[in-house]
This record gives sequence, structure tokens and C-alpha cells, in this order.
Amino acid sequence: MSDAYIVGAGMIPFGRYPDRTYFQLAADATLMALDDCGLSIKDVGAVYASSTFNAASMLGQKMMQQIGQTGVQIVNVSNACASGATAVREAYVAIKSGLYDVVLAVGAEKNPRGMLAGSPVDGPPPEGLFGSVSMPALFAEAGMVHANAYGTTLAQFAQVAVKNHHHATMNPKAAYRKETPLEEVMASEMIAYPLTKLMCSANVDGAAALIMVSEKKARELGLGRAVRLRGSALTSDPFEPRNPDMLDPNSVTRLAVAQAYEMAGMGPEDLDLVELHDCFATAEILHYENLGLCGEGEAGRFIDSGATALGGSIPVNVSGGLLSKGHPIGATGVANMVEIIDQLRGEAGARQVAGARIGLTHVLGFGVGAAAGVHIFEKA
Amino acid sequence: MASNSGLMAKAGNKSVRVGADGTAWIEGYRCEDCGAVMAVPTMACRACASRVPPAPYRSAQTGKLYTWSIVHRSYPGVAVPFVSAIVDLDGGLSFKGTLKGVAPEALKAGLPVRLVFDDAGGTSDADGSPYVGFHFVAGDAQ
Ligand SMILES: [Zn+2]
Repeated sequence: MSDAYIVGAGMIPFGRYPDRTYFQLAADATLMALDDCGLSIKDVGAVYASSTFNAASMLGQKMMQQIGQTGVQIVNVSNACASGATAVREAYVAIKSGLYDVVLAVGAEKNPRGMLAGSPVDGPPPEGLFGSVSMPALFAEAGMVHANAYGTTLAQFAQVAVKNHHHATMNPKAAYRKETPLEEVMASEMIAYPLTKLMCSANVDGAAALIMVSEKKARELGLGRAVRLRGSALTSDPFEPRNPDMLDPNSVTRLAVAQAYEMAGMGPEDLDLVELHDCFATAEILHYENLGLCGEGEAGRFIDSGATALGGSIPVNVSGGLLSKGHPIGATGVANMVEIIDQLRGEAGARQVAGARIGLTHVLGFGVGAAAGVHIFEKA
Repeated sequence: MASNSGLMAKAGNKSVRVGADGTAWIEGYRCEDCGAVMAVPTMACRACASRVPPAPYRSAQTGKLYTWSIVHRSYPGVAVPFVSAIVDLDGGLSFKGTLKGVAPEALKAGLPVRLVFDDAGGTSDADGSPYVGFHFVAGDAQ
């Protein structure tokens, strides 16, 4: 089976685009990815288009109407916050199968404004009567499990936001590029204890795209800036006794990570950097352990040590993460990979991780169930 | 829990059951093959995929606090702050509910709590039938 290589990556600056449609955003990112590798949309054999809110409207087809209707297979995918990783996973399967030499994975979203809610239910609205269905509350509760078990502090959770906001100041494509000292993070509006407003992801619009090719095509194009996809895993949540009342970000992630490490033939010690799903500050703490970056119960001390900051032993979310780069749901998973590819190419500017060769991306999707995507990339 | 209008109360949550005499209880489902419990009826066991549908049982209303968050910002019209709690009921089954009457500094994992049925915030359906909901309070006395 052919290996799969990323040769083109594109991402629009994340923010608000009141005058653009979600499919125009997808087209912008796609054209950037094509230009990045010198290919045309006419070279693309299959398209995988991701959006949480607009996949059903045939995002991929609408995008192709903007940039060239070549008649190729288009698959529109929706898988909550793991939608983008799902599109890339499908692109990977398409290359590995040998059916295609060049495929496109693109994610785009114009997020609804305001707090994102769970699905409506029969009967009275549950919020406040049957606890909370808001995403901040769900991740606050998941974080409190860690706090209860290991004594993780509010300041340690808040430190995630301090770090990621600092990283974002070095990313011209991040939506929010402002330092937020610890006192400011902890003093910002309390949303759901222990999560303050600055510990919740930035709700923005965005799009990102990757051109993935076979080994044969990669060699033809030249491996100079190519990145090899070493591991790709996509999982759904296994049975957990507390589900679905207690959404569990951990088991679905651990399942995906184990598969990706095995496929890549490597482990956490081999990674140079990680882009993980910091939808809320508590999530990043949990995922340090889920991804094996530190031992069980050590995540609070791990963030305190500076290991996950730029310059540390395993920088996490140097892009600014979802907390400050932004979280346009269906684009997020692809955008995480664009950051890793920029880094492995040595093209990440002020936030460059020195000598980065291997990087991991992780996303977690929550609805009435869960999905996790983990991908491992290596400089070709 | 018949209302003033004489309309029968309806379950305000997927796991609440209301008997003909108006009494309410929590129904769980237990797999006879692997023992896993779940809060809703399923066609096969969610845990072991046994094709014998998990059998209904009447859950205990006492349990222990597993985790929580104090919710300060919510959707328009929702009174804050409130404690959103995940409670492990005795005998299996975990539920999310609002925990009332416990000061934030008294919240701790393992705190004994019990489930209390209520009027689901006084809400009713389009025909005027009231709903039966529940919340949690501290203590293990029935
Ligand atoms: Zn079973």
C-alpha cells in the first residue's frame, strides 16, 4: 500500500466573515492548498468536505461551483467537532486504497453565535432543572473529575489559557492575539466553575484544506516540503456506564491514540509537538494524560512545569489552540493539521518549534455520542 | 401527582416513570448477560451487544456525588447560579441533575445525596399536563 503524503496546506485567518458564505470560505482554503503545491482542482480525484452545521447542504458541491466543477466524487461529512479529522481520515483511506493519487480534504464553518447547546429533548427544557446541557458545564464537570481525583487547581486549568493565548500572539491567523495573564484569566467572567470565559474556546468562522497524495505523486512533485501521514485513527465512544449523562472525553480519545501510535510505530516520546482539542481549558489537562504526554494524575504539575509551552519538551497548541486561534467546528480538525504541517516544514515563523520532525493532532467531537480523531505526521 | 386540572402528570425526563396513581420512580435497564445498566431502553445491550434487551428495574433514589460544576452563565431565562451534578445512584446508573441546598464549599466527591421528585419547574405541555422532574439534595435518608 502506498504511503500518504500531504503536499498542500491552506488555512484562512480565523475570525468573523459576515460577507462570505461557508462554501466561499472552503473555496478560499482549497485554492490556498492547491497553490501551495502547484496543483489545479483538475488534478484532484476526490473531495472530502467537512462541516458540522452545513455538510447536509452539500458543502463540497457548493464549493466546487465556486472554483470548478470537475465531476469528481465528493463526500460531505459531519461528525461533530471531529468532522475535519473525519474528512482527512477518509482522504487517507482513499489514498491508501490506491484508488486515487490526489485527493482534497477541506473543512469550513460559519459558527452560530452564542453558547452552543446540546440537542433539544422531549419535555421541559433541561437546563437548570436537570443540571446543565451547556458545553462549558460538560467540560467543567469532566475537569472536576480530575480535580477531585488529583487535586488539580483552578490556577492549573487557567494556566492552559494563559499559555495558549500567549502562543496565539505569534500566529497571524489566530482570531485572538492578546496576552492574558493568569490573574486576568481567573478574574474573567465565571461561566461554569472552574471555567471562566477566557478558558472557553473562541467561537469564530474559518476554513482549512489539505491536498493529500500517493507516494508516487509525492515523488513526482518533489518531497522537499512533503509531510508523511504516519498514523490515522478515528473512533467512536465505547460504552461507559455514566454515559450519556456524563459525557466522557477520555475513553474515545485513548482508543484513537492507541491506534494511531500503533499504526505509526511510535509513542508519545517520539513527538516534537501536539495540537490537541482544547475546546475548554479543562480538556487540555485531561488530554495530556489521554495522549500519554505525562503520567496519570500528573497533568496539573505538567502544565506548571512549562513542558507544554513553546520552548518546553513537548509544546502543545503553539497555534494558540481552539482557545485563541478559534474553533470553527467543521474546520478545526483540518486546521490543527495545517499547523503541524507548517511546523514540520519549518515555516511557522515566530512560533516555530525548533527542529520539529514529528507532530500529532487530536480532535474530539461531542453530541449525543462522541468521536475522536488522531493523526501523526512526519517530515518526509 | 395529578394537577389541579385533573390532567395526569407526564414524565419530564427520559428516565422518570409516573404510575397510574401518580407515584413517580426512576427506571433503569440492566443487562442479564453482563450486568451493565443503562438509563434508556435499547434493542440490545450497549455494553456487550447481547441481543436480549436489558430488563427494566426500579432504581434506588440514593447515591453519591461523582462530579459537578457551578453554572454561572446559561441560556436566557435560566436562573443562575446552580449546581449541575452527576450522581452515581446506589445499585448502578448515573444521572445528571440540579443539586440544591448545598453550599459550594461543602461540595465534595462521594457526598451522599438523594433524588427528590419535583414539578419540573412548574412547566406543562401544550394540553396543560404538568411534568414530573427531579433534583438532588444532600443526605441519604429516604
Ligand atoms: Zn450486556
